Amino acid sequence: MSTAVQHQAMPPLRTPRQLSPRIQWLRDYYFQGADRKWNNQFLAWSTGTPWDVQFNEMTFYIVPETYALLQTLRGSFRQAARDIALPDDFWTWSLPERRAWFVKEVMVHHVPREILPGDLLAGARFNLQTSLCLTEAEQKSFDTALLGRNGARARMKWFHDHGYGNAGATSGHLVPDHAMALKNGWRGIHADLSDRYDKLSQTDQEGPRGAQLRAMMTAATMPRELAAAYSTLCRRLANEASDQERRQELRRMATHLEHVPWEPPRTFWEAVQALWLNHMLIMSDENYPGPGVSFGRIDQYLLPYWETSLKEGMDREFGKEILKCFWVHCNTVYDAMIRNGRQGITAGFGQLITLSGLGPDGRDMTNDLTYAILEVIDDMSPILEPKPNVRLHRNSPTALMDKVVDMISDSQGAPFLLNFDERSMAGMMREAERAGCREWIRPDNVHDYAPVGCLENTMVGNDRSGTVDCNLNLLKAVELALTGGRDLLPFHDPMTGKTEPVTQAGPSTGDAAAFARWEQFWLAYSEQTAYIIRKCVDTYECSESARAVYFPTPYLSCLVRGCAEKGRDVTRGGAELNFTTLEAVTFATTVDSLLAIKYLVFDCQKCSMAELMAALRANWSGFEVLQAMARNKAPKYGRDDDEADAMARQVMDLWTDLTWQHRTTSTHRQFRPGMLSWNYWAGDGFVMAASADGRPRGQFLSNAICPSNGADIKGPTANANSVGKVLGGRAAEGTADWDDTFNCLPNGASHTITFHPAIIRDPAHQNKFKAFLKGYAENGGTCLQVNMLDPDMLRDAQQHPENYPHLLVRITGYNTYFTAIGKELQNEVIERVSHQGY
Amino acid sequence: MHATENDLPADDAKDSLATLFEIQRLSTEDGPGIRTTVFFKGCSLACAWCHNPESISARPQLHWIASRCIGCGTCGTVCPEDALKRTAEGVAIDRAHCTTCGACAAECPSTAMEIIGTHWHLDALVHEVLKDQAYFASSGGGVTAGGGEPGLQASFLSAFLQALKQANIHTAVDTCGCYPAQTLDAFLPFTDLVLYDIKEIDPERHRTFTGRGNAQILDNLRTIGARMVSGAAPQELWIRTPVIPQATATEANIAGIGQWIAAHLKGTVARWELCAFNNLCRDKYLRLDRDWSYNSQPLLPLDTLEQLADVARRSGVDPAIVHWSGPTRKPPAPSDEKQERSTAATTA
Repeated sequence: MSTAVQHQAMPPLRTPRQLSPRIQWLRDYYFQGADRKWNNQFLAWSTGTPWDVQFNEMTFYIVPETYALLQTLRGSFRQAARDIALPDDFWTWSLPERRAWFVKEVMVHHVPREILPGDLLAGARFNLQTSLCLTEAEQKSFDTALLGRNGARARMKWFHDHGYGNAGATSGHLVPDHAMALKNGWRGIHADLSDRYDKLSQTDQEGPRGAQLRAMMTAATMPRELAAAYSTLCRRLANEASDQERRQELRRMATHLEHVPWEPPRTFWEAVQALWLNHMLIMSDENYPGPGVSFGRIDQYLLPYWETSLKEGMDREFGKEILKCFWVHCNTVYDAMIRNGRQGITAGFGQLITLSGLGPDGRDMTNDLTYAILEVIDDMSPILEPKPNVRLHRNSPTALMDKVVDMISDSQGAPFLLNFDERSMAGMMREAERAGCREWIRPDNVHDYAPVGCLENTMVGNDRSGTVDCNLNLLKAVELALTGGRDLLPFHDPMTGKTEPVTQAGPSTGDAAAFARWEQFWLAYSEQTAYIIRKCVDTYECSESARAVYFPTPYLSCLVRGCAEKGRDVTRGGAELNFTTLEAVTFATTVDSLLAIKYLVFDCQKCSMAELMAALRANWSGFEVLQAMARNKAPKYGRDDDEADAMARQVMDLWTDLTWQHRTTSTHRQFRPGMLSWNYWAGDGFVMAASADGRPRGQFLSNAICPSNGADIKGPTANANSVGKVLGGRAAEGTADWDDTFNCLPNGASHTITFHPAIIRDPAHQNKFKAFLKGYAENGGTCLQVNMLDPDMLRDAQQHPENYPHLLVRITGYNTYFTAIGKELQNEVIERVSHQGY
Repeated sequence: MHATENDLPADDAKDSLATLFEIQRLSTEDGPGIRTTVFFKGCSLACAWCHNPESISARPQLHWIASRCIGCGTCGTVCPEDALKRTAEGVAIDRAHCTTCGACAAECPSTAMEIIGTHWHLDALVHEVLKDQAYFASSGGGVTAGGGEPGLQASFLSAFLQALKQANIHTAVDTCGCYPAQTLDAFLPFTDLVLYDIKEIDPERHRTFTGRGNAQILDNLRTIGARMVSGAAPQELWIRTPVIPQATATEANIAGIGQWIAAHLKGTVARWELCAFNNLCRDKYLRLDRDWSYNSQPLLPLDTLEQLADVARRSGVDPAIVHWSGPTRKPPAPSDEKQERSTAATTA
């Protein structure tokens, strides 16, 4: 047996390289954080009415850390807001028109404009909190819907406090139709809107469709006017510039901005400029910085401009320089709440770019721009945004695989997430089948899918799938099956100090202690699962229906196919594809808990159900032997153990089938299943009671589709095989969802595997790692995050954070600075690397 | 430095049951590509430095893993022989009375009491290793039978390898070569790659370090080389030499092995790997209540390995086949100079 590992020091901590003085300055300046003179923090704007509100708290309902702050944020933005003079007839307009005018007025005439030294792209400040533009009556009924006794906030809070998870109508999380906006320019978009408006009947023009199209036309002129204002600024700065070269650059930028984004770009520089403005204004429109507003297949739709400019003599390095400026711009999203710390509230903004992947007829779409962008990432790393996602498939070219593994070997882990096409496309085809939208997702276009946010797969330019809106702890159903529909422990409110009496919340599925057979418990679990899914759907409906009425986003609607055609805002189901995603959290903890109950109570009779419940109520205290048995003797998911994985499949089939049975009432969006977990698996570990898998309260739950921590004792291939199996595995060619591959989670499922750097220590081992990734494409899940971390280094970083300011780790689909996360999460990352303990 | 335990080679009566002590997946060190290595329990040698002491005995063995123990005392209560005692250091196994009946391991809630050695049916084992077929295919990998000495369970090994070949899996056997010549017939025809150990060229030193002489080992190796020359299986042959301080890590030994390879195996060896001494197995000895003469032995310094690799390259073999792997001592900080000199003297 030779498990010997050649002693080799960790690769030195990754630092950026090959940066020009221009980019080095911009990057360094960015990392000065709150010390910067310039920043992009939220600026608040008001209609000046006494009832005015800016903050749309619903978009934060999926961020439990902010619950205690919601009222404060609402109040402070209101207090900080500056008044905007309104046109006389403002209050006679429809809400979408008011909103469109107000956002445009603020962006074009009130928000300060700056160009940072050396920057090659215009468009700096965009983080806004604009008035909701509601009349007094509207604001009143919105507030009732939101803050009433049974309002959205109270129901959302109950849902979270009692360990079910969270749900809320959230911004972003889609890929806008950037390719079209570049190709047609806003002139084209505006002309199309105007044409559609003219064709409406008079009744329709006077009704909501007319109002929506008018609002979208107003929004469609915002980029032109903002670009014109930036063009003027560039000319002024050019005249003031002493450096000849810089003067030239600023003059060229001024010329670009006279042309794009209103007209289609002529060069790569113009295309990137247009893309940035088009993207940035979505974040202004939604009043939320980049939560999953993703770019899609950037190496495909920017390629014609790249090739044209290279042909016309653009230096390839200069092309990369333009992209690097784009990179810096993307990171300024974090300025929104910069005074809360370097990352604001969260590192999870996720403006995703997608690289490589399959094209029509099974062709691979890797091109020169793919490599140029990978070089940019390589040069700029570590940096948080935009988050790259490389699509791999069975026939990904060797050169791409080499570059990918080189980059992984060279940093603490992959500076990108790997998406696997066959499995992902199978999920999109499953969704087309289940939801009856084969018109929009077909074998001949499914390759154009792209992930948003962290890893959530959607179609591009016509799809809003609410990919992070509902997050449900499946484990709650196990708890309710044990108790017959009541919380195991009473909820104690740490804010008020009050303890709520336990009530009958779920269906009465009977006294589990009286169950004689495992099948009875499974039946109870199934019934409780149906209940918690229904509960989640109902909770979500509160904010979904309120957003549909009170929070239109007409600018974004211009960039989503279907909205103009239907004359309907994207928040009201205007997109061609309207899903909302139920993300299951605690999958492995749930499966392992069921396996433990079956093993301990029924199969091996190590304890009675009553004893097990007493142990859980006592948080295992006094039941250490039973806890050890649950942890160590009961079977676990993630070991490629067919029996345990069969239970995992059963759990998966149950909850996904139930999820497909629901639609939102107000907007008629179809629910679809996914597994993301974001950071909930950490935080909710403190909310949820102890679980039968041996986990005490306060220990983290399992993350997305990953096995429970420490359970994957058979190594990465077994871990990956288990994941592939529960997604549906494979079948004979042509008999599965896509070719030979099944996938029951169209949204995708977050999967992280942490390796010791020894696996990539020399070229021979790097080849083996490449082969592992190819094997993963066959057997694994929809996407994989690779961490390459030496536990010793992490422990050192914990002790001496000052030495590791740029150490990035992936948590669940998002990168974050190791030194910026809490001690518990740090320990979790270390545990997960060293595979010690449980 | 004499072998303390050495079960005689004894083939399994039933050809459908093997005793294994581990199955390692995503193995990257036991042949080409990504492999699953199946470790057979029982060895015909008992090398003083062995880093898998649990591989030597062919019988199942009991050990206690301190880090897993929750101190519940279950093991003591269920032991029918009263062979388990709690001491200040933890659970002490009275090996004179323990019959390895497995009652304690079955009841131990934390898996701290564990039986090393599991019986596997052929079908189950084939099913188990085929789980990673996709990774074998993508990497040019396959299955390696190692140990212990897989040749001691020759009829099972033979059936196992045949089943793998039927499934079109690349097979490797990692062997010490210490068994009768007819054992070769059992596995060579179904083996794509043989990983063969030559530990020490001097027969007496070999006997001192491993408990056995090396005549049969070298004979068997000559047979393998001859078969390869005649075009029979295996297709590929790698030689491995453990480089052990105060034992095999001498220039004379490395040069001698090289000369032997050059003289007897010309052209058939694709790779000769010098494997550096590894001390990660201290815990294993402790858990088996065995002393280990290498307990406080530091790793070899880098330059010793490089020097010996150089000797190997100049020994008469094709220099391109020489590789070395394994851990070396951390480069000394300037203040450690004194210690560095003293260890250099012992390894010279």
